[in-house]
Amino acid sequence: MASMIMISATAVPDHLRGALSRWLLEVTPQLYVGTVSARVRDELWTSVSASIADGLAVLAYPDANEQGFSLRTAGTRRRHPLDFDGLTLIGFRKESQESMKPL
Amino acid sequence: MLPRIADSLSFLYLDVVRVQQDDTGVCAEITSERHGTETVYLPTAALSCVLLGPGTSITARALSTLARHGTTVLVVGSGGVRCYAATLPDSLTTSWLERQVRAWADDGQRLGVARAMYEKRFGSGTVPADASLFQLRGFEGARVKAHYQLLAKQYKIGRFRRNYDPESWEDQDPVNLALSAANTCLYGIVHAAIVALGCSPALGYVHSGNQQAFVYDVADLYKAQLTIPLAFSLHASTNPEAQARRSFRDGLRLFKLLPRIVADIQQLLDPAGDYEIEDPDEQLVDLWDPIAGAIPGGVNHGGGDMRDERPHPWHP
Repeated sequence: MASMIMISATAVPDHLRGALSRWLLEVTPQLYVGTVSARVRDELWTSVSASIADGLAVLAYPDANEQGFSLRTAGTRRRHPLDFDGLTLIGFRKESQESMKPL
Repeated sequence: MLPRIADSLSFLYLDVVRVQQDDTGVCAEITSERHGTETVYLPTAALSCVLLGPGTSITARALSTLARHGTTVLVVGSGGVRCYAATLPDSLTTSWLERQVRAWADDGQRLGVARAMYEKRFGSGTVPADASLFQLRGFEGARVKAHYQLLAKQYKIGRFRRNYDPESWEDQDPVNLALSAANTCLYGIVHAAIVALGCSPALGYVHSGNQQAFVYDVADLYKAQLTIPLAFSLHASTNPEAQARRSFRDGLRLFKLLPRIVADIQQLLDPAGDYEIEDPDEQLVDLWDPIAGAIPGGVNHGGGDMRDERPHPWHP
């Protein structure tokens, strides 16, 4: 059964953009949305992660878990999914902008 | 809100973190060797319950943001196996507490809930509709004894006798020690579920006279399935208590148990109900009326025909 997927691909090779735009709409720069089968989704994600180079990409798609979706990531990202006993949240390092003064 | 498990995330367990509010939202600062100090924003409005484990600190602003979103915050032991304290958000509905008290205060209804609890444990149709509490206790004793015997035979440990005498704690067999430890974990989880629903842990249907009476009632629903087989499987363990706690935490998918406990409590207290409740943000306080039922608050009921013409004590 086809379901909606969302791929964000930053700094990926041009041929990969071509492959993605054949299946998905580029609704805003680097953000692709579309409805495809699980097989097409997996094929697309395989080619994205194989040719990621210095870029980075994230895929979100509906899944049968408590949150209702799953995430996959490729490339080195500042943000990455963290698992809290089955609940996925996003962890990242705050680099320059400290909002709290050190004690 | 916990009762709407279908559309909100059930539980988040945090330990060794600092939870604080910054300019954008509530975040947990997690320090690990691999990633250094990282920030994780918490989806406060989507969470029904946050369990704060050991090594957690939380700022007052973060706590009040959680409360404003109707998220119950519990202070628990490692892995959520003990519940030390809980904050109840102002907006938490009292509808489940009211149901609990209503069913508890009437002896007939209380017996009905007790009977439903036994049916939940031993299968529907196993208890005669007119069984008294005395008979129920008899059924329960026989069933549990048979269950012990079956497992003792399965693990080839001859005779087993349940013993939780604190005086002779040290010279108990591994199964008894493991069972006591695993049951303590179970009580913590059940306590968290009861508090998160807004119910009272003290008003039990089978047990009574203890601040945890309802906790013991509900925990009994799961012992035959969860803690008793686990304890018997540790009959040869040299450190049965610690191992029981670890297995309970690791193996039983702790946080999948909580939604199940909540659904079971709701079913016991309101067998006919669908568990949809209104959004707490939209709900005003109702005023109680013995004839009309709940009537809307936030309305001036002073106008119209008031038969009671006695002077008000504050305005003679």
